[in-house]
Amino acid sequence: MTQTQAPPAAATATAAPATPPTPAASAASARRDRTEDVPRLLSRWQVVAVLACLLFAALTAGLQALSWSANRAAADNTEQLVRVQNIQSTLFRADALATTAFLTGGLEPPEQRAAYDEAIETVTRQITEAAEAQPADRAALADLSAAVTDYNSTIAQARANNRQGFPVGAEYLRTASTGLRDTSVEGSAIPLVQALVAANAERAEDELGAQHPLLVLLPGLVALGLLFWVNRNLARRFRRRINLGIAAAFLTVAALTLVAFVVAAIQAGNNADLRDGSYATSYRESTARTAGNDAKANESLRLISRGSGQVYEDRWTAASDVVRANASDVTEAMWDDYAGVHDKIVELDDGGRYDAAVELATTQEDAGSTAKLNAFDARSQKVVSESGAATTDALRSGNTGILVLGIVTLLLGIAAAGMSVWGIGLRRREYA
Amino acid sequence: MSARRTTLRTLVAAAALVVLAGCGYSATPIPKAVVPEPAAPASSTPCTDTGDPTRSYQPTAGGVPAPGDVPAGSTMAEIRKRGFLVAGVSGDSYLLASRNPFSGVVEGFDIDMVDQIAAAIFGTAKGHVQLRVIAASDRIPLLQSGEIDVVSRNMTINCARWDQIAFSAEYFHSGQKILVQKGSGITQVEQLSGKRVCAPAGTTSLDNIQELAPDAVPVTAGNHTGCLLKFQNGATDAITGDDTVLAGLVAQDPYAEVVTGKALTDEPYGIGVNADNVDLVRFINAVLEQMRADGSWQASYEKWLKPSLKLDAQQPTPVYGR
Repeated sequence: MTQTQAPPAAATATAAPATPPTPAASAASARRDRTEDVPRLLSRWQVVAVLACLLFAALTAGLQALSWSANRAAADNTEQLVRVQNIQSTLFRADALATTAFLTGGLEPPEQRAAYDEAIETVTRQITEAAEAQPADRAALADLSAAVTDYNSTIAQARANNRQGFPVGAEYLRTASTGLRDTSVEGSAIPLVQALVAANAERAEDELGAQHPLLVLLPGLVALGLLFWVNRNLARRFRRRINLGIAAAFLTVAALTLVAFVVAAIQAGNNADLRDGSYATSYRESTARTAGNDAKANESLRLISRGSGQVYEDRWTAASDVVRANASDVTEAMWDDYAGVHDKIVELDDGGRYDAAVELATTQEDAGSTAKLNAFDARSQKVVSESGAATTDALRSGNTGILVLGIVTLLLGIAAAGMSVWGIGLRRREYA
Repeated sequence: MSARRTTLRTLVAAAALVVLAGCGYSATPIPKAVVPEPAAPASSTPCTDTGDPTRSYQPTAGGVPAPGDVPAGSTMAEIRKRGFLVAGVSGDSYLLASRNPFSGVVEGFDIDMVDQIAAAIFGTAKGHVQLRVIAASDRIPLLQSGEIDVVSRNMTINCARWDQIAFSAEYFHSGQKILVQKGSGITQVEQLSGKRVCAPAGTTSLDNIQELAPDAVPVTAGNHTGCLLKFQNGATDAITGDDTVLAGLVAQDPYAEVVTGKALTDEPYGIGVNADNVDLVRFINAVLEQMRADGSWQASYEKWLKPSLKLDAQQPTPVYGR
């Protein structure tokens, strides 16, 4: 595009009148003086164009930084969610191990004792890791840590009494197991860990849904509107349809807006897929794993209560329903294997063959319910781990690109402001 | 220019705040305790019998029949046909009925009574007894519904219960006492004033204590073993209950002792049976007579209760005539 030299309209209008003006003419002249103060107008339009570009750059880059930050936070929150859900599942697993070991008599199998100790160690370690990872969880985790210590010490008392053959040991076990889940006492472990799961799930899902393509569009559209307005005013005043600098700034902002919108839309779509895909799989599988271990603990408590364990059988049924509603196909099939053995245990117990029922519930052989539950637990843990990692990997893999785009937007937005200054500078030089 | 700089600074600060806003979350809420609605108090059943509540039915004429000779159509014949006797028992009353952690078997004085009844029906108790560990509050409903044949669970015979179920003749005479820490200096109930005393929820034991020591602080647990847990954790200073139950608790805690002296109440134990199964009550009374005669009651007492009660005792003299 070329510009033809033409006398600036404002230049002729700024000539002073030779005779004193009438009042009406004086008012018209004053208006003309105001509208025709071209250098001042050019400065104002320059400010508008520069501010439009800079605000566009700052807001769009800011929104992209928020998007980048939200994805990072979503990954971190998903990791924390997996961590606290693992604490929950492992706590129930420890309880299932403790109650099952109790059924086997005073001399519990060393491998079961070791598995219980390992579960408690895992819970303790993960509480520390979770407290480091999320400051907002620290108060709840501190209470959880105290509750786990209480639980572990009550189980130790149960074990000590059981080894002496005292039935008060069973009472300590029931107290520990019930206290773990007791919602009527503030500071019980399971209500605390459930609150942690709920809070972290909400945080993760909020961050996964924090991509707003239409919002990203907004600063660009406003900036484009202002640049268009500046260009139109320049065109009217200088009889040039297009100002090169403003046009270049317009195109730059338009291109950046389009790219930012497309990237945000793709990211929002990807996050929605993650939320309904690997994230949901991880969350639901972990829920299933927790319920599975809860069911096994209730199976043992049913047998410990011997004949009056219907309350525990009802809890087993409720937990089993949760497993079936949340388990993946592969783990649900493994749950069916376990549930089949559990049904046999119930049949034996109800049929008066208590000892056979206990044997089936406590044996380490493959046919027993313990081995079936262990198989379900291990596979379920693997599914949780894999799907949780898939979620965080996906969130982190393309995230640097968003940050780079934000930096590019900021730099090019500043450059667009410079183009505006240059473009208006051309007119200023013409006028001078 | 100054105004422009201020505007720019404000915008930068706002952008920084927007970015930082994503970094902090409100603290995870700590769940409050959800206190369950208290259960409605059990309604007391009016008593209609003014005679001796320990009166039971005459034993089966001619004593305990041979296992194969139980009368056709009788409750015992039904049990025999089923293959096992279903008995409601305690699972945590050490020495009376509790699960042996080493063998997994529920054993004790009350279980010996069940085994004797089963042996009289089947020839041997082995393989013919199904024990159902039940709560005290389930004893009467389960008998009335027919889900269990007998209850042998330190159950006191009284007039109100006779209106709901039937009892065998008295098989043990117990009484309410108190358990305290060794060296506490407490030798009588009146000294419990201001002290915490534990008993299972829903029992009248605490009322008896508060009549003599009105300032005693009541503490409840699900059962007596729950009270022992509280006692060991310093949540109660004393436990009250039948001397047989307290004997079982003392046997589990070397730092506890039962205050000696006269019992606060009389607690005659009987085997509970559905009120319609009078034939089974007569049969059980015959079994109890047989146990007196062959010394098996005495042997059972000396095995389970005497070492802790440290008292010589004999099988109570039965009262019949109902």
